[in-house]
Amino acid sequence: MKNLMEHMGLDPGRLHFSWISSAESTKFVDVAKKVTAEVKALESKEKKFVKTKPKVA
Amino acid sequence: MAEKEPKILSFLCNWCSYGAADLAGVSRMEYPSNIRVIRIPCTGRMSVKFILAAFRQGADAVWVSG
Amino acid sequence: MDESKCIACGACTEKCPKKVVDTYNAGLAKRKAIYVEYPQAVPLKYRIDPEECIYLTKGKCGTCKKKCPVDAIDYDQKPENVTLDVGSVILAPGFEPFSPAGLDNYQYASHPNVVTALEFERLLSASGPTHGHVARPSDGKDPKKIAWFQCVGSRDMNRCDNAYCSSVCCMYAIKEAVIAKEHAGDDLDCSIFFMDMRTHGKEFERFYDNAKNKSGVKFIRSRVHTITPLQDTGDLELRYVTEDGALKTDVFDMVVLSVGMQIPAELVSLSNKLGINLTPGNFCDTGTFTPVETSRPGIFVSGAFQGPKDIPQAVVDSSAASAAAAELLSGVRNTRTKEKELVPEMNVLGDRPKIGVFICQCGINIAGVVNVPKVVEYAASLPYVEFATDKLFACSQDAQDSMVDLIAEKGLNRIVMAACTPKTHEPLFQETLTNAGLNKYLFEMTNIRNQNSWVHKNNPELATEKAKDLVRMAIAKVAMQEPLKETELDVNQTALVIGGGIAGMASASSLAKQGYTTHLVEKGSRLGGQANNLFHTAKGESIPEKLAEMVKDIESNDRIKLHLNTELSNVDGFVGNFVSTLSSNGNEETLDHGIAVVATGASPYTPSEYSYGSDDRIITSLDLDKKLMAGDPALKKLNGALFIQCVGSREPERMYCSRVCCTHSIENAIELKEINPDMNVYVLYRDIRTYGEKELLYKKARQLGVIFIRFSIDNKPVVKTENGKLTVTVTDHVLQLPMELEVDLVTLATAIIPNTDEKLANFFKVAINQDGFFIEKHAKLGPSEFPTDGVYLCGMAHYPKPIDESIAHAKAAAARAVTLLARQKIFSSGTIAQVDQANCAACGVCVSICPYSAPSYAEKGRFAGKAEVNPALCKGCGLCVASCRSGAIHLKGFDTDQILTQIFEMDEAV
Repeated sequence: MKNLMEHMGLDPGRLHFSWISSAESTKFVDVAKKVTAEVKALESKEKKFVKTKPKVA
Repeated sequence: MAEKEPKILSFLCNWCSYGAADLAGVSRMEYPSNIRVIRIPCTGRMSVKFILAAFRQGADAVWVSG
Repeated sequence: MDESKCIACGACTEKCPKKVVDTYNAGLAKRKAIYVEYPQAVPLKYRIDPEECIYLTKGKCGTCKKKCPVDAIDYDQKPENVTLDVGSVILAPGFEPFSPAGLDNYQYASHPNVVTALEFERLLSASGPTHGHVARPSDGKDPKKIAWFQCVGSRDMNRCDNAYCSSVCCMYAIKEAVIAKEHAGDDLDCSIFFMDMRTHGKEFERFYDNAKNKSGVKFIRSRVHTITPLQDTGDLELRYVTEDGALKTDVFDMVVLSVGMQIPAELVSLSNKLGINLTPGNFCDTGTFTPVETSRPGIFVSGAFQGPKDIPQAVVDSSAASAAAAELLSGVRNTRTKEKELVPEMNVLGDRPKIGVFICQCGINIAGVVNVPKVVEYAASLPYVEFATDKLFACSQDAQDSMVDLIAEKGLNRIVMAACTPKTHEPLFQETLTNAGLNKYLFEMTNIRNQNSWVHKNNPELATEKAKDLVRMAIAKVAMQEPLKETELDVNQTALVIGGGIAGMASASSLAKQGYTTHLVEKGSRLGGQANNLFHTAKGESIPEKLAEMVKDIESNDRIKLHLNTELSNVDGFVGNFVSTLSSNGNEETLDHGIAVVATGASPYTPSEYSYGSDDRIITSLDLDKKLMAGDPALKKLNGALFIQCVGSREPERMYCSRVCCTHSIENAIELKEINPDMNVYVLYRDIRTYGEKELLYKKARQLGVIFIRFSIDNKPVVKTENGKLTVTVTDHVLQLPMELEVDLVTLATAIIPNTDEKLANFFKVAINQDGFFIEKHAKLGPSEFPTDGVYLCGMAHYPKPIDESIAHAKAAAARAVTLLARQKIFSSGTIAQVDQANCAACGVCVSICPYSAPSYAEKGRFAGKAEVNPALCKGCGLCVASCRSGAIHLKGFDTDQILTQIFEMDEAV
């Protein structure tokens, strides 16, 4: 999946997977913060975030 | 809005991460408000289609959590 | 606190001025005087601590009453006495952890870095005071070396009065050490100081082995006498003697005391009041064949009050106690149930969606952050929305009633509720829909409290935006929702029990006593299984006598149909509707049944080690039982008898403990000593595992002069016969020298090995673990059932166990089965997968991928050979939907279109 994203010109850092049990609220918050921070970092790095629409979904 | 806040589309498993997210609320923890949640019955329900659709729709990121 | 009004908003706790010690976090954190015991409490309701509340103790304050938005605070609530007429009573009062405060040599009361295992458990917990990061209580430093002391308050008659073993502490100490290392990384040094390592539970030995060899937890066989604090450093110095007699000193950052279980004094006085007998350790006295019955008829017991035990065992007990109570009360089952009146359902199929949107303010919980009127206004502007409004508390009774009225008045046919979490409140709102005559699946709930207002309270603007997005996504989804049907299935009221040993018989007997016709299938020619080979129980009851009673009970029960010399040759169907083929001597008959209990037992291991078979003086434990049962006069003349433990157990190829052999050998060692007190009796062992009050037998054996010699797995004893002399050579662990013992009898405590039955596993689609035992639904919470609905598990097919545990397990399986049988009808969920057979390519991916075996190939009709999903088995996980390459499977309620529309609606701008 991440390879495909790279191929399409999307930064693989925009896709995250995680596994969190229903008791791990702390972990949930940590991952939420991490994902947001990484995306914001990408955002400022790329400045103009232009995506070419893929021809097929 | 001066700076557009990125939108992160998250697919949360009903039994795991969705529960964790609820619990984070009960404990009044704080985290960034960029996340939009779609509740799915199980991460087994996830499909590549959804991820692609989300990006096509302009999601800045996708987060899948089981 | 009025529980029916409390909405768990937490406003009271936030403003409560009184801070008190949090007992849930073992005193390691603070909470308020008005509080919720722990965040995952069910029901989630706040309560007032009457001993700490300022208003209740001093008559002033009342802050919480002022802050409560729903007027749930009632300071005048008083304890009430309620009198109930009941047919039976189940005691499940639990235990108290031993308090080490009185042990001054361990410094628990005076030093913060000496904690109990329960306190350490909170330090490890994600919801604990340190959020799962282990920090030293004295200075918050990350500990580098932690020591665990076993048997604190157990197996100890010097410093306390608890002679028994608490059964659970070895395992929890290993678990804590492994988790601590997982969190802190490899440089954390974890040492466990122990006497005997008792990992006798299912999968426990392997866990122990991995802790030692993979996680690097150190195990030191020594009882530490004293802890000396090192001045102001917070460090603790331990002095202990190793096995070879060397005195060692070591410094640790923290010490965890593995405290045992004990019965609190109030419980002893309650027992006296109830007139039930207690054991020497103050546990509830029960018989081996009646493991959940107290000495008073009609009063049953479960959990640690019956004896120290771990969670799975307590879960088994609780089901068993409910079965025992139900056997007594089966005649009055369902006499007090009330039927609910049903509102006829409107047919809205094909109608244009008319969506009603309700936004809950939840007092200030949502409205305090999210601009609710704006969200309402926004929702009303969206397509298909007929009506949008807000509610102060959507879950209150009057709000519910007004929703029912509004649905009728505005002709709404889809509802969106933006409120708290669907995990707790979806059923409530769905019931409101049902009451309004709407199909309950025409509903979507979106979470703007737990996952929005509560977590973004410093950012009201963004939280409002998020709420709008979430509401828009929910509206888009519900517009595509269709009314769903819950399939109704009859449950055949007949039971099938496979295996005629102790467990199978006990299970069949319980099912029959609860009113169900039960077929008991045994492949052999007689009932009783392995119990036919056993002499007496650890409590001294005669097994042949009790077994004969059980067999008689089975044979004389009209509801039990006995099938001896019979095996299963096929199983079709599913929960509530199985069709099995029984074959006996070439004859086959089919049987329709609603449930099945698997009790296929286990067998003794035939040893190849220790020269077994070369000399008739080298026998197995069961052979010795036979001699004892027959009253063999030769036993009295023996000069020396020796037992070797762990024969075939706890070996690399059989990495489990057979659980019963230590007790069995010790029992027989005592028996031999009683026959002839002059006999030299030796037990060669690796760890003695007389858990619970069986420890008292171990003590008795030592008092009678039985000699216990420990050996290690890499230096096993050697058994030799030379010139008619039988000798055993073993290296003594204290002397570190080989000793030669001349004896007349060597008894090998052989392993219990499973009757691995792969055919049966395939029939019922259940799994077998690497040791060959069946895998239960959940190791802790589902020990008596399989993941396959309608199939239950008990006895040694699950794991080796003594008779009392087998019978409790058998009753537990029966109790679980009755929860299904008693319903008579089952309803599938509406949110299940359905195959569009016209598009199905019959590739079979769904059939092989489903963990619940719900999809299969249709056998007849226009679409024979294509996949179909059995609604009774489908759990709605969606695995098949995602795997289907033809897009032919649809998950109702979470269909691809619905998820895609949520995705499309995520960002309005695009």
